[in-house]
Amino acid sequence: MNSTLEQHHAVGGGILRRLNFGTAAVSGVVFGFVAWALSHHFLDDSGQGFADQVTVLTGCGWVVGFLLGIGALTGPGKWFTGRDQNHADEMYLAGKDLGRKRYFQYTTDHKVVGVQYIIATMVLLGAGGILAMGIRTNLLTPGNHFVNQQVYNGFLGVHGMLMILGLIVAVAGPWANFILPIQVGARDMAFPRLNALSLWTLIAAMPLLLGSLAIGAMDMGWVTQGPISDQSGIGFDLFAMSIITFTISTTVAGVNTICTVLTMRTKGMTMERLPIFAWASIFAAGLGLYAFPFFLVVMALNLADRMVGTSFFIASGGGTGWLQENLFWLMGHPEVYVILLPAVGAILEIASVFSRKPLFSYRTVVGGMAGLCGLSALVWAHHMFTTGWAPTLGGPFMLTTELISIPTGVIFLVLLGTIWRGNIWMKMPMIWVFGFIVNFIVGGITGIYLSDIPVDNQMHGTMFVVAHFHYVFVGSVLFGAIGALFYWFPKVSGRFIDEKMGRISFWLVFVGTHVTFISMFVSGLRGMSRRYSSYAMIFEHTNFITTIGAYMIMSGMLVLLGAVITSWRSGEPSGPNPWGGKSLEWMVPTPVPLENFEVLPVITSDPYTYGEAKS
Amino acid sequence: MTRFKAVVVSLASVALGAIVIAVAGIALAHAQPRQDALVATNVGTSTITVDGAPQTVKHVALTIGAYPDSQFGTVFGKNGGAHPDWVAYTNNNLVVPENSLVTITVNQYDGGETLNNPYFGHVIGTMGGTATVNGAVVNHWDPDHVGHTFTLRGIPGSGRDIFVSVPIPPNDLVDVCDPAAPDASICAPQGTGYYPKDPVVVTFSFYVGSKGVYQWNCEYPCGATRIGQFGAAMSTYGYMSGTLTVK
Amino acid sequence: MTSNDNQKNNLRQIFWIWLAITIFGVVVGIYGTPWLMPKAASNTMHLSVLTMVVFTVAAAPVAALVYSVVIVALTKWRYRGEGIPPDGPPIRGNSPVTSVWLVTSTLLTVFLLVWGLALLAVDNGTESKSEMTIDVTGQQWIWSFGYAGTQVHSHELYLPVNTDVKFEVTSKDVVHGFWIVQMGIKVNANPGAITTTAVTPNRVGTFDIRCTEICGLNHAFMVTRVHVLTKKNFDHWLATQPATN
Repeated sequence: MNSTLEQHHAVGGGILRRLNFGTAAVSGVVFGFVAWALSHHFLDDSGQGFADQVTVLTGCGWVVGFLLGIGALTGPGKWFTGRDQNHADEMYLAGKDLGRKRYFQYTTDHKVVGVQYIIATMVLLGAGGILAMGIRTNLLTPGNHFVNQQVYNGFLGVHGMLMILGLIVAVAGPWANFILPIQVGARDMAFPRLNALSLWTLIAAMPLLLGSLAIGAMDMGWVTQGPISDQSGIGFDLFAMSIITFTISTTVAGVNTICTVLTMRTKGMTMERLPIFAWASIFAAGLGLYAFPFFLVVMALNLADRMVGTSFFIASGGGTGWLQENLFWLMGHPEVYVILLPAVGAILEIASVFSRKPLFSYRTVVGGMAGLCGLSALVWAHHMFTTGWAPTLGGPFMLTTELISIPTGVIFLVLLGTIWRGNIWMKMPMIWVFGFIVNFIVGGITGIYLSDIPVDNQMHGTMFVVAHFHYVFVGSVLFGAIGALFYWFPKVSGRFIDEKMGRISFWLVFVGTHVTFISMFVSGLRGMSRRYSSYAMIFEHTNFITTIGAYMIMSGMLVLLGAVITSWRSGEPSGPNPWGGKSLEWMVPTPVPLENFEVLPVITSDPYTYGEAKS
Repeated sequence: MTRFKAVVVSLASVALGAIVIAVAGIALAHAQPRQDALVATNVGTSTITVDGAPQTVKHVALTIGAYPDSQFGTVFGKNGGAHPDWVAYTNNNLVVPENSLVTITVNQYDGGETLNNPYFGHVIGTMGGTATVNGAVVNHWDPDHVGHTFTLRGIPGSGRDIFVSVPIPPNDLVDVCDPAAPDASICAPQGTGYYPKDPVVVTFSFYVGSKGVYQWNCEYPCGATRIGQFGAAMSTYGYMSGTLTVK
Repeated sequence: MTSNDNQKNNLRQIFWIWLAITIFGVVVGIYGTPWLMPKAASNTMHLSVLTMVVFTVAAAPVAALVYSVVIVALTKWRYRGEGIPPDGPPIRGNSPVTSVWLVTSTLLTVFLLVWGLALLAVDNGTESKSEMTIDVTGQQWIWSFGYAGTQVHSHELYLPVNTDVKFEVTSKDVVHGFWIVQMGIKVNANPGAITTTAVTPNRVGTFDIRCTEICGLNHAFMVTRVHVLTKKNFDHWLATQPATN
């Protein structure tokens, strides 16, 4: 007979039964307010850094309170006091039998975290998209008729940061969490509690970023150059806090991903039998582990300049803005490959399944991704060709940047080779793949133009650069992320996203992308600088067209949102393997059971055995 | 889902989303402080030389003030708003008619010191290249003794190319008008602040051509922060910067 | 038809589509690019425009290859049946194709690099010899120019044509970007440091200077003109300017 104590333990969860998103938000606000009040009271308010100190401490209070309120620290806390978690606790944490509630709690089940990341991505990209509409509406005509230049500059910076954060997690967040452990034959990630921590830390960072717009925006673009970052209002402090919080989230997630793929593969899953998405995920995670600490450092130094009067980036005190630019771009360039690689991984998976062919030249593409990661750490100063920092280093950086086109070309080789003479199944995932191919050529080639220093001397800081990176971020990464969504949505929900609405959204976004960014290339070629709230009359027509194109993209994304929402409940049922895929996630039932596999599978080949007789 | 239903749901998604975004965007846009326009008053006509040829044009006038803080009125909110100690011009939204001669009078109540670029100690771009300071005609002011500047320019290629910069000398009486203990013989209250009774009056004129939007700001480092003293009031829209719209 | 015939047909179709797209790309590169870019006012800009043309022409066959495969995939290889398509040929790799691809992309990269380095050498040559120096000061949110050796300053830049001009650029506050649009030169203005660039204007006219690093509130309005005059007119202009320092 169970004693009451045993019954109590059998239920599991402890304090976590009472903690959820709501308690986290309340706790965050309370701790933030207490931090604000204490710092306001005890800090010297005559110093120039006072407002910054108060803001930073308030931000810290929010993050600590939020994480306490969601129960992130209960695990370590229990271990510390000698009462480690028992099996019932762990089952509760994994969300067993909790129904919909588990999506609002500190749930460790990687599948729940994956779905939570889908929502987080939609919020980030949606908020960034609303700001993009604000930016383009202001540029519909010259003269700052919609917002004044200060609000516009704030929109610019926060739009950039929201979109970058959204794209970093767009493919890696949902799918490296939901799908990747199943793909390698594991029951969960290597560190399930850290998995939940990475998600909730990201959510804690989001209000800080949105808040920076509210309390006196930071109006220096997302690159927050020193020294102008010293001049901004307190919005910058919240921005920096959100970045520092985010780097914690991404570091934790990166470590988790790498450990999972390296240590938790099932029997027979050698590294050469890994799905390419797994390779892409660990390369991206490893690159992120290298790059994001630079981001944390540069924000910390910026805050030090503002809060306590150091002069890291301030020339009059002996510092230099070049330090900030170097540190920032040491992060900034690898970061774009952190964004790109998971999308490429998903694209390659889809290309193989929907051509019914093996991945072309598996080793070459893995080598190409490795080369891309290695080289990406050596190219950062191509963002600084015109800064006057080190003219003698122009040649070497031009070399490394042009070399990066070789591994990028390998991706095209493998994509085309995979599609070559396949039986192309034009369902939505594959349609987005073709969109990716068309757009990535434009994005990649225009990047090569910019790698040439004399051309960069003309194009740097113009709308040409903006169009280039939007072709890569929107035209390639976003297309890859949406393709991945259409591909894996049936695994998550058991339903297809409606194909017809999907096509409407694809054509709106695809045509909109070209209308928007080709006219933007023209603006840049003709001489329009970027980050301009208003412009000379000669740029009127191209800007008008760009804004119309932007409205088209937004319409397409809204149609996609409508399709996802309606399909979640009433989409056509798909069954566990609607696409005939061969990787492990398609071998488990839908909905995926809590521990993924009844019996862990034994692997005898890679998941690309199309057309090959079973041996 | 049938094709018809797909189209209907798509249209509904776009419409709903567009409304939400439009509301959010307009709310954000309206959150920015917007001053009422100060429209120039008509003072007759004038014959001036425009691009080498004499022309009779409308003559309009504007008067603005430059203050050491924001407490002279309710332009920034009650009691000077969120930053009552920030220096400010009284109006940041100036409107003038096209093809007119504009005369601007600046009533200067604030002190000053050294410009960060002596170039702006010169009067540039006005009629005759001069301005009047308390009645005396000048084309230059000692750059070590300047209060603010009024520096106006547009984006070349949108309307007439205009560049005007006038140094606004400091009002040395401002130091005795501390609100804690104002000297009543020299200072008078305006709003919730105390300022010298006699401003330094600076007047200058320039010709505006066809329609356009121009930005003006002060080029004297009167803001806070270590970066060239161009933070705070200097970098916040509406305090030491504004728009001149030629309609 | 055997699989080999299919393969030959595919290759032939791809070749013709590739050719069409390449020709289109080359034409756009040669005629479209210079038409869209500002008319050059210096040799540096002329070389920049030429580089854009050459790179577009070099990129056209690459893009055409990818697009022609995409078109053939969407038309010839598309599965038009119901349900999951049957498996395709198990092509796991093709060493000759991969090798040719890697070698070609390396050669293209080497070409780009050599071209870029050659152009850099030409541009740097301009900088080393200079007949006059202009002190460029960027500040929030105005450019001002000093003419070395004189007491003259101005807010619009005046230059004599066919003269090697060196710019010494600095800032009074934050980082600005000094860009003469039609002359193809750009360098940042940094506080506490002097960066340099140089150009030889080769035609008379009025051109644009725009700031290219976000510098705060009125960044979009940090725009001014540069007037390139004949040497005689420039000397006359300089002599009649009041000393403004």
